[in-house]
Amino acid sequence: MSDNKQDASGGESCCACSLDSRRTMLAATVGAGAVVGLGVATPFVASFMPSERAKAAGAPVEVDLSKIKAGEMITVEWQGKPVWILRRTPEMIAALSKNDAALADPASERAVQPEYVKGVARAIKDEFFVCLGVCTHLGCSPNPKFAVGSESGMGDAWNGGFLCPCHGSQFDLAGRVFKSMPAPTNLVIPPHAYLSDTRLLIGKDSAEA
Amino acid sequence: MSLLNKLLAAAALAVTMAGVPMVAQAAGGPALDKAPVRFDDASLQQGAKLFVNYCLSCHGASSVRYNTLTQIGLSEQQIKDNLMFAADKPGEQMMVALRRDDARKWFGVAPPDLSVIARARASEQGSGADWLYTYLRQFYRDDSRPTGWNNVLFPGVGMPHALWGLQGEQEAHFVTKDDGHGNKVTHLESLEIVKPGTLTKEEYDEQVANLVSFITWMGEPGQETRRSMGWLVLAVLSVFAVVSWLLKRAYWKDVH
Amino acid sequence: MTCCKIVTDKAQQLLGWVDERFPLTTLYREHLAEYYAPKNFNFWYFFGSLALLVLVIQIVTGIFLVMHYKPDASLNAAGVPVAFASVEYIMRDVAGGKFIRYMHSTGASMFFIVVYLHMFRGLLYGSYRKPRELIWLFGMAIFLCLMAEAFFGYLLPWGQMSFWGAQVIVNLFEAIPVIGPDLSIFIRGDFVVSDATLNRFFAFHVIAIPLVLLGLVAAHLIALHEVGSNNPDGVEIKKYKDANGIPLDGIPFHPYYTVKDIFGVSIFLIVFAIIVFFAPEGGGYFLEFNNFFPADSLKTPAHIAPVWYFTPFYSMLRATTSDFLPVLWAFVALIAGLTFRGTGCVWIKRACLLLVAGLYWGFFGLTVFGFTPPPIDPVVLGVHLGRGLDAKFWGVAMMGGSVMLFGLLPWLDQSPVKSIRYKGPLFKTILTLFVISFVLLGFLGTKAPGYAFFGLIPGGPVAAICTILYLAFFGLMPWYSRIDKTKPEPERVTSK
Repeated sequence: MSDNKQDASGGESCCACSLDSRRTMLAATVGAGAVVGLGVATPFVASFMPSERAKAAGAPVEVDLSKIKAGEMITVEWQGKPVWILRRTPEMIAALSKNDAALADPASERAVQPEYVKGVARAIKDEFFVCLGVCTHLGCSPNPKFAVGSESGMGDAWNGGFLCPCHGSQFDLAGRVFKSMPAPTNLVIPPHAYLSDTRLLIGKDSAEA
Repeated sequence: MSLLNKLLAAAALAVTMAGVPMVAQAAGGPALDKAPVRFDDASLQQGAKLFVNYCLSCHGASSVRYNTLTQIGLSEQQIKDNLMFAADKPGEQMMVALRRDDARKWFGVAPPDLSVIARARASEQGSGADWLYTYLRQFYRDDSRPTGWNNVLFPGVGMPHALWGLQGEQEAHFVTKDDGHGNKVTHLESLEIVKPGTLTKEEYDEQVANLVSFITWMGEPGQETRRSMGWLVLAVLSVFAVVSWLLKRAYWKDVH
Repeated sequence: MTCCKIVTDKAQQLLGWVDERFPLTTLYREHLAEYYAPKNFNFWYFFGSLALLVLVIQIVTGIFLVMHYKPDASLNAAGVPVAFASVEYIMRDVAGGKFIRYMHSTGASMFFIVVYLHMFRGLLYGSYRKPRELIWLFGMAIFLCLMAEAFFGYLLPWGQMSFWGAQVIVNLFEAIPVIGPDLSIFIRGDFVVSDATLNRFFAFHVIAIPLVLLGLVAAHLIALHEVGSNNPDGVEIKKYKDANGIPLDGIPFHPYYTVKDIFGVSIFLIVFAIIVFFAPEGGGYFLEFNNFFPADSLKTPAHIAPVWYFTPFYSMLRATTSDFLPVLWAFVALIAGLTFRGTGCVWIKRACLLLVAGLYWGFFGLTVFGFTPPPIDPVVLGVHLGRGLDAKFWGVAMMGGSVMLFGLLPWLDQSPVKSIRYKGPLFKTILTLFVISFVLLGFLGTKAPGYAFFGLIPGGPVAAICTILYLAFFGLMPWYSRIDKTKPEPERVTSK
């Protein structure tokens, strides 16, 4: 109402975007103010992102494989997360394909893994299984359950694998998730490469540089 | 207040209090032996001696200062003369002499700090003291382990049996049985001493009880003082409650 | 005598001087001496003032804890995280620190006990009903802030439960389609829960959330004093006033309820002191045992559970599995069907249809219609279009939604009476079932996933049934509150 009066008295009623119009100027000020507000908010919102220090912490890790006995697993830290290296026995590798029917994604089509790990064993060398020890459900670290059959406490059909303590997701010895588990996908496999037969680099796709 | 109202109030109170007395049912996990925890000065001093001699070479208790031990009846001079091997001043913390990197190399993991271990090891199965009391008495010889030792309560433990000189060497006998549902269950049948230590079984249990008492005390020094102070606080609050009830009554007498 | 008189006169002068510049006397009258509260408050009406007391306890103890606590995840010389060690430093080396810390940790649990009882009072006497909807909504906002405050604060001791609790809860955000994974990194400020996370949670816990909380408490009280308090009879005392405009059934808040609340405070303090001095760990429920292990990012404890006050909602998250989704959908469809039949408004009818169809797609995707899902690539939206949203997302939605449902109560309750005293058997039965479900869900949430009652009754199905009962309390309320046989409300408040 008052705007109209103002416009009328200003005598410029034909033009909607008159510099005298309170309404127009109000909108313009709100707009300009919003831009200023956004600008001010930017550094605050941006400060929530991982800092350069946090990003730099993810340097690749070198591991000596010769000390791991067959059937044993070691855990190394990469980017603050546990990375498992399991030296699988021939029996363990042979048992993997027995699980296929019970798995949610046996061929790892939906899994996050580098291109060079393919097939049932999900490894560059079938013997060494390298995997991020972080459940794909809510990020707990599953426990190894390597015993086979009824002795494992996981039922007679158990061929060895992992059990997440938080919500009970089960994975086989290639980190593949069983059907109807809380975890939606197979365990993640980080980039890794062999520097030599016994030295492994975790966190990089190739041994160069 | 109607009957329903009273019932609901009672139910709500019961829920409120549930946090405190809810006693855990034994749900899985190995059974623990009840630790005879004693908070008298003599037991605690003996426990402190064992702790300093056997535990502190690898484990720290970095939240505990040596002079805290004056609370268990020791003078600073006594502490200095008998218990301080790795520190100069009684006000210093019980730090470990071993370097963490070395420890990791030798045992695979760095030995944890033990300041609050008795509180951490508590569970539905029993108190932290019960866990420690059971653990320290269940080491056995196992040549498949890098240290040559294993533990019934903590299979695959990284620590060798630090007290073996006192207890001697034990051998464990396991049996695997069918639990009636087609599952094979392995459990301990017996632990027997094959090479005796300097103490008899009863003496050893006694010393472990002293040690565990000390570790429990160390988890929160002055916990007995806290409790005895509690009675005083409750007495004062009761007086406050009575007085404030009378005040309320004095004001409300004319409300109908 | 003259001396006394001079002092009183001077005090009067001073008050006059202040009143000309600040409405002190007016405020005192409006909110205390001439705020008329119903005279029939019972036991349940203690918990409002007690909540205020716990807030003060938490703020005061918190200020003193901040003087000694260090939010630092790096390891000290002994190999213990600095934050963890600083809590033990407070417990041992700071004079009186132990009691300040125990008061703060006990206060956290007591806050939720008091607030849950305070909310239950609202359910009993219909305190959320018109004209008190906004009081209820401000209260809901306070409850949400309290949960955030507790969650952020729980990370600070930097123990195993702190770490893995934060890890699991932050990872819940990954369930949000498309932006989820980035969002959870954004919240942590790192790829894992780390020092950066600890520092920002500290900032939220000590500054950001408490400020919001105080503002909301003020709004809650201002709204309350605008419309006046409800009472156990659920009738308005403002209907009958004396010649001076004072409600016949009202009494001045001060001194009557101030002295009564002081008595309530004394009883509360006795309970509080019993916990602080004799059972500060609360049997492992107030201070969890595993939290005495320093945080270890490589090893999850064998059993992790949130602190007890979150477990009812956490249980519902866990109950939402892919097997449970069809049941949930059928239940929502039933409620939508009842609403569809019951309402005259065409827009609500359309909303019901949309809801059922939307949820059908969300739960089952296109596959059930006979479509083949498009080739699957987990990072693109196509998955969600083809397969619907996964159970993880619905679990998170369930957890959030089950808290938010309380906010709808003012509009769900169609009963002609407010108080349970005049409501019918149907409401009483369903409320009882609701309380039992809530307690059972809370209990199950503290247990491992495979828990069975007495080793016989599996916890999973019980949690699923309780979840449905919990939802039914809210979802079916418009229906059962309307058809229930109520008793006539009295004209004026009754004395017991």
